[in-house]
Amino acid sequence: MSFRRRLPLPLPPEPDCHEVGAVLQAYLDGELGPQDAELVTAHLAHCERCQIESVTVERVVEAIRQQRPDLDAEPIDRLTGFVDRLMRDGPKDGPKAS
Amino acid sequence: MPAGVGLPVVGGDQHDRSGRHVSGSVSRVANKTREDRFREQVLPELEVLYRVARRLARTLPEAEDLVQDALLRAYRGFDGFDGRYVRAWLLTILRNTHYNRIRKRQPDFLDDEIAQRLPARGAAGRQDGTSEQAFHDEFDPRVRDALASLSASHRAVIALVDLDELSYQEAAEVIGVPVGTVMSRLHRARRKVRVQLEQTGFLEVDR
Repeated sequence: MSFRRRLPLPLPPEPDCHEVGAVLQAYLDGELGPQDAELVTAHLAHCERCQIESVTVERVVEAIRQQRPDLDAEPIDRLTGFVDRLMRDGPKDGPKAS
Repeated sequence: MPAGVGLPVVGGDQHDRSGRHVSGSVSRVANKTREDRFREQVLPELEVLYRVARRLARTLPEAEDLVQDALLRAYRGFDGFDGRYVRAWLLTILRNTHYNRIRKRQPDFLDDEIAQRLPARGAAGRQDGTSEQAFHDEFDPRVRDALASLSASHRAVIALVDLDELSYQEAAEVIGVPVGTVMSRLHRARRKVRVQLEQTGFLEVDR
């Protein structure tokens, strides 16, 4: 199984609004390669329409992320302890490797 | 100790969108035991594993048990792991472990399972009545309702990418769909949320 990223096709040297719009989500999510990200950044610097679209998408994502639940520390502490015991004592009878 | 500390990275070194280090190819270091290496790779991923497990499991204790089970499997299979993309590797094991469990129960759809644990309008998000729903209630109901109105597959991808901060590829591994499907679902889901937020006045429309 490959974990390599399969993302949108590379952008042309001077992408238009339509082409930028197609990759804007990946750009804002930090999923775009550095070369394409640079092209989008350059486009946004001079395109007011795409800037507005970009800010709006960011605001939607920010609103969604505010719904992110906090995690209790206790389960993570217990899981850390589990790993420590596993490393110290080795696995007891349990599931085989996936 | 953070992942990768003290381990020379040979190639494929990356950072995710939060700026966290994602291990690339890691060479075997003679003075590190297998246990040291496992610990260093896995401990930084416990939180994200538990977050995702909470989406899959019906109760919080079951989520914790699921992570433990997955960690055991990961440890047993660690010698076959190439050291790259540790999070994606662990998430795949978590998902497979979950599938093995539910196979004996009923033929659930993973999207539905993940979505069930998201806040829903007027309904408890979890069967065990824990504080997650109460926490969500503190936030703007317009956003909560917009999320609750999405289809299960759309809510699942929003949960994994926007709330649990998985990469597209990691979310694809968990749900078991191509990464392009994650991207298109995410786009459509956010679009629907956006339209609702504009309609309810949460988001002003700049045109």
